[in-house]
Amino acid sequence: MSGGDVLSTLLASEIRADLLVLFHRNPGLIDTVDGIARRIGRTSITVNADVGELLQLGLLKQKRIGASEVVYLDRAKDRQILESVANHLKTINIGGEK
Amino acid sequence: MTTPRSKIGPSGFDQLFSGKAENQLRVKTGIVELDEMLRGGFMPGDAVMLAGSAGTGKTTLALQYLVNGVKQGEPGIYVTFEELPDQIHRDAKNFGWDLRKMEEEDKFRVICTSPSLVLETGDNSLLDDVLRDIQPRRLVIDSLSHLEMFVKRDDMRMEAYRVVRYLKTHGVSSVLLWESPQISGGSFSVTDVGLSFLVDCIVALKPVEIESSMRKALVILKMRGSDHDKRLREYEITPAGIKIESAFTNYEGLISGSPRKVASEKFMELFRGASEKQKRA
Repeated sequence: MSGGDVLSTLLASEIRADLLVLFHRNPGLIDTVDGIARRIGRTSITVNADVGELLQLGLLKQKRIGASEVVYLDRAKDRQILESVANHLKTINIGGEK
Repeated sequence: MTTPRSKIGPSGFDQLFSGKAENQLRVKTGIVELDEMLRGGFMPGDAVMLAGSAGTGKTTLALQYLVNGVKQGEPGIYVTFEELPDQIHRDAKNFGWDLRKMEEEDKFRVICTSPSLVLETGDNSLLDDVLRDIQPRRLVIDSLSHLEMFVKRDDMRMEAYRVVRYLKTHGVSSVLLWESPQISGGSFSVTDVGLSFLVDCIVALKPVEIESSMRKALVILKMRGSDHDKRLREYEITPAGIKIESAFTNYEGLISGSPRKVASEKFMELFRGASEKQKRA
């Protein structure tokens, strides 16, 4: 996936942007989808799809703790993604042309 | 010709008997006066309860313990159930502690989660990954009181025991924060669910009203396997963290909530008053 595609995926919705801000400010956050939704003032139904997209991108990881599924930021993957987005941004000028 | 000394020879024994070796094994809080009160620091691997009401500086003291640990080469983890890491980072920065930098260097982690996830049982524990990643020597849970929201009162002691044993098994020296609305009365009851017996050491923080001003007192109520300072010491929250001052030697009844000057101090006050009067006459 190119840096541009990654950027488009990351910023595809307001909820996804809220999730990005939450996990970037709080990289040690480990919670259920329900708990994460509550932390950004939403419900699990509304954030489910966006969490799924970020899991697919690899930015978030999921694991089972007892009877609960939790999600958390993959710090190494996050660094990679940031780098790829930064490299992409370097290739475009303010007007948006390459 | 002198006999060569073994590395574990007489010098080691000298240290042991002089108490130096034991002192070196202690987990130093890095707060000089507190370490003196603890006769060198906490015992390695111990579970310490840090109890106090809101605003007494539990979080500050706990963070200071972890930050000083990092400075001594001991990675630390701060588990919070209430505040988001962002807030912890900001508050720590006010004391000059750059937790973000420590996190980037893999020496520190702020984990924010729900107490219910800590209570989950199964093959994976919530903290398994982070314990493996940064191999902490110190860990703080802020606070154990939050487990009460998810556990029946009768099960609280058993669940807390499980948490304490998990940390001990991993060789981590833990500080467990406990929100005590008040620590007073003759029984010195810190928790009403019997957790005092589970921990190895209890440090209590208490606001005290003396002569119409609020001051703060710190006391070590319990320390398994070690002598410790039994006195109530005054402390302040300064821009550099917790600073422990002298003992409240002139007052009694601080814990019961009715502080009064000790008899000798009252006598001295009378004597000083009489002496002043005589001088004026």
